[in-house]
Amino acid sequence: MSRVSSRTFLVFALAAVSVVLLILSSSNRLGPVEGALSSAGRPFLITFSGLGRQINNMVTTARDLATLRGRNNQLQTMVDTLTIDNLRLQEAESENERLRSLLRFRQLNPNYDFRGGQVIARVIGKTPSNYLQSITIDLGSEHGIKPGMPVVTERGLVGRIHKVGALSSTVLLITDPSSGVPALIRGNRLSGIVNGRAGGQPVMEFISQDEKIALGDTVITSGLGGNFPKNLVIGQIVEVRQRDYEMFQQATIRPTVNFDRLEVVLVITNFQPLPGEPGEPESVG
Amino acid sequence: MAKANRRRTLTIRRGLTNVYLMAVVLTLVVLVQATLLARVRLIGATPNLLLVVVVCWSLIRGLYDGLVWGFVGGLALDVLAGLPLGTSSLALMATTPLAGLGKNSVFPGSLTLPILLVALATPVYGWVVLLSEMIRGIPVDWLASTVRIIGPEIAFNAALTVIAYPALRWLATHYRPTQMEW
Repeated sequence: MSRVSSRTFLVFALAAVSVVLLILSSSNRLGPVEGALSSAGRPFLITFSGLGRQINNMVTTARDLATLRGRNNQLQTMVDTLTIDNLRLQEAESENERLRSLLRFRQLNPNYDFRGGQVIARVIGKTPSNYLQSITIDLGSEHGIKPGMPVVTERGLVGRIHKVGALSSTVLLITDPSSGVPALIRGNRLSGIVNGRAGGQPVMEFISQDEKIALGDTVITSGLGGNFPKNLVIGQIVEVRQRDYEMFQQATIRPTVNFDRLEVVLVITNFQPLPGEPGEPESVG
Repeated sequence: MAKANRRRTLTIRRGLTNVYLMAVVLTLVVLVQATLLARVRLIGATPNLLLVVVVCWSLIRGLYDGLVWGFVGGLALDVLAGLPLGTSSLALMATTPLAGLGKNSVFPGSLTLPILLVALATPVYGWVVLLSEMIRGIPVDWLASTVRIIGPEIAFNAALTVIAYPALRWLATHYRPTQMEW
């Protein structure tokens, strides 16, 4: 009898602890604890993330080799040997190239509203949850990172800083359903809001019905609302939905950034978002 | 007296083995989930290894072991995922009673039951997470999330069960002989 009681007690105790933690965490009262735990797990995350990259590279390489084997056996042998020999070298080289591209991006865009102060950050983890589209980078409050700072790559807008720990931060991607980015279409200067979609591509909403939208038009940030700098590329329009009975038309956007292959990003540290940031970003659906 | 002491020592040793086993397995699972599996994104969803492990462990070792694994693993996942602490714990603990349905299965080695239970547990997990978000005032698109995220996740998790369940069964029998309850 007492065995049953203690087990029943365990069920209720664990559920109660979870609910209390959920309430405290939602009201941001566990920030320091979450930050400390996140920092403690960081070395393991970096190690496993590196391992994941290596496995990813090896899988890709194996796929390439399979194709080559069908074409030329001699070439296959050579590629095989070279791939194994140069795996680490290739990794370093591609990383170097990415960093160079990021620096070039900054030099080629002097007309942006932000200048300097960008920090090169390494993506150390992608969210393990299907319900939050975010990445973790190895920069935190000790590097001057603050919530709301925009995050970009040389290809365009990635998202904004969501949670900041001492040595790492979480970036909420523009594909997350809770993310809203004021945007405009570069060609005809029509404005709207780009919202993420659960399991799908982001959609630009609140576009006036009167104007025509062309497929392939580039969508950039408008700077309205003061949460993102102006003129950052978001993506290209791939589909337009216009219905006569709706007040606005919608455009589906293919982001220029490949979120599945993000490894290095830039945080714009000198851009100060206006107070009154959008509230809880943890979102779903 | 000596017999009682021996029994107590055995119980403590068994308890410690359970704790070590849980710590090692859950640490590995959460890290693999956060780094390796996070890269596997097909049709908008990633497999949820932690959910699979918790459901399978509940089936092998019983509801209460599953609850503790769900609670601890959920907290670790929340820290890494950036979700509010307790969200995944609640969702994982909600799935463990399903394992009670198959506890007395006459075919413990069969994969059909664990796959079925994981397939049932995946939407339960997803809906509890969605519900917690909704209670916190965040807009939730139930239909889109169910179709685009939970649907593919069921298939991925079922596939993962084929590997995870036999591995966990081996662990369970290797680190603690099956107890007979009368």
